[in-house]
Amino acid sequence: MLDTYREVVTPEGVALHLPAAGPMPRALAWAIDFIVRAAVMMAMGMFLGVFGRGGTGFYAVAMFLVYWFYPVAFEAMWNGRTPGKRALGLRVIAGNGAPVGWLAAFTRNLLRVVDMLPLAYATGLVSSLVDPWGRRLGDMVAGTLVVHDARAREPQPAAVDTALAPSVALRPYEQAALVAFAERAPRLSEARQAELADLAEPLTGARGSTAVTRLYRMANWLLGRR
Amino acid sequence: MKQEHFVQRHQPEWIAFEHWLDERGESARKARAERRNWHGLSDADMPSRYRRLCQQLALARRRGYSPVVTDRLQALMHRGHGLLYRTPLPHWQRAAHFLLAGFPRLVRAERGCMLASFALFWIPIAVIFAAIQWQPELSSSLFEPAQLMQFERMYDPADPARKLGRDNGTDVAMFGHYVWNNVSIGFRTFASGLIAGIGSIVVLIVNGVMIGGVAGHLQAVGHGDPFWRFVAGHSAPELTAIVISGGAGLRLGLSLIAPGQRRRIDSLIHGGRRGAKICIGVFAMLVFAAFVEAFWSSISSIPAPVKYAVGAVLWALVFVWLLRGGRNAIHRDDEDAA
Repeated sequence: MLDTYREVVTPEGVALHLPAAGPMPRALAWAIDFIVRAAVMMAMGMFLGVFGRGGTGFYAVAMFLVYWFYPVAFEAMWNGRTPGKRALGLRVIAGNGAPVGWLAAFTRNLLRVVDMLPLAYATGLVSSLVDPWGRRLGDMVAGTLVVHDARAREPQPAAVDTALAPSVALRPYEQAALVAFAERAPRLSEARQAELADLAEPLTGARGSTAVTRLYRMANWLLGRR
Repeated sequence: MKQEHFVQRHQPEWIAFEHWLDERGESARKARAERRNWHGLSDADMPSRYRRLCQQLALARRRGYSPVVTDRLQALMHRGHGLLYRTPLPHWQRAAHFLLAGFPRLVRAERGCMLASFALFWIPIAVIFAAIQWQPELSSSLFEPAQLMQFERMYDPADPARKLGRDNGTDVAMFGHYVWNNVSIGFRTFASGLIAGIGSIVVLIVNGVMIGGVAGHLQAVGHGDPFWRFVAGHSAPELTAIVISGGAGLRLGLSLIAPGQRRRIDSLIHGGRRGAKICIGVFAMLVFAAFVEAFWSSISSIPAPVKYAVGAVLWALVFVWLLRGGRNAIHRDDEDAA
């Protein structure tokens, strides 16, 4: 299996496919969060500098909160997303697919201490490369998972509105391939559409844009649009 | 049934469900406030609609419908699942109850690890302290000369105007420093226990050696009086909190090495939950200790007997709290008892 889906069977007996995120987008999200945190601390430093030496106390408390509780608060209150994760389209969820709770968010961020060892999140990197769902140690102990947010895709209207029965009976996987082509091809260039459609020449008996249109019509027939 | 017919037949249901999720699912408070103006899918029907949706998704997958349909249904189902099976919200109003009863119960439930952690921390303190009384030069092999000078300056009995235990910095600045420094140490002591407990053991011993070294050196050079007056107050919550987070770290390490009848991953999750709860208590203890340390311990004008009396009271309170707290708790969390 190449896909990094984690399959969670819900109490209703239906599998939820959770697309686990790998170390690269997570590292980028962490970097964005790091910049946000550094900016917050700089702003705090400038603001508290006005108060002189007493300000350093508040600065230390702010640093403590930003260091330890910035990810916890965002993950628990903002549906599993820190600003960095939001920018990268990531989300922390509990292992069973439910939103992450306060305690789990706290646990996974406490254990960054271990994932950071010996430097630059090396342990977390190795762990997320070894684990089938890309979890770092903190995720394992907290029972959480970082997933890609599902991208909402607008249903496309059919490219052509006539139907054509395929000349031969198609197997289920062939039907699936045809429907997938019809759904995805409108986002490809004309030349690429024609190139892909040419592969199905035995079925369509044509090449080029005629073949593309015929495939669209067959997909319409398979989907029941007439 | 062809995909298109399936979609046409069920589309209105899906749209109604999605509309409900958008309008009612986001926040319970908002949903309660606006319940009179809501005329869509009723709240009581939501679970049955959700189950219907699950069935439709299973059907769509079985029939090999295209991702346009299955992805959409799965996204709807995921949102419904998140609402129905989410982690219960924490009871903020029960925070005091947790601190007074739940936390001591959690600590007592791990008494073996706590005792081990206590020994790992206090034996180095006692040994190093005694060794430096016996051979005062030993302190110079633990610390740089500049550090030793700094310690002596911080607790100089010949300088009564100086605030105890600090080089410079106001009370508030030191409070912030103690929160940042001590709570971070507390959290690290727990978390590093995941490495089979080794991290916690190392942190406990190293901190024990350092504290024993400073105390021993100051006692040996005759700066003992200001030092003891300084540490008397906050030592009880601070040192006990470090011992407790070390114990929680040992527990976490043990759940990795000896998972018992659980799977290793389940044992880790269990240990992690309890450890994180203990860390909440440790956090509270250390913030309290930082408060005492910054605003009480440093006052050099208070006579020694008062300082020692307050210190003794705090030690007694901490031990009574940890040993007796939650003994007769009525609301026993299942997890605390486990």
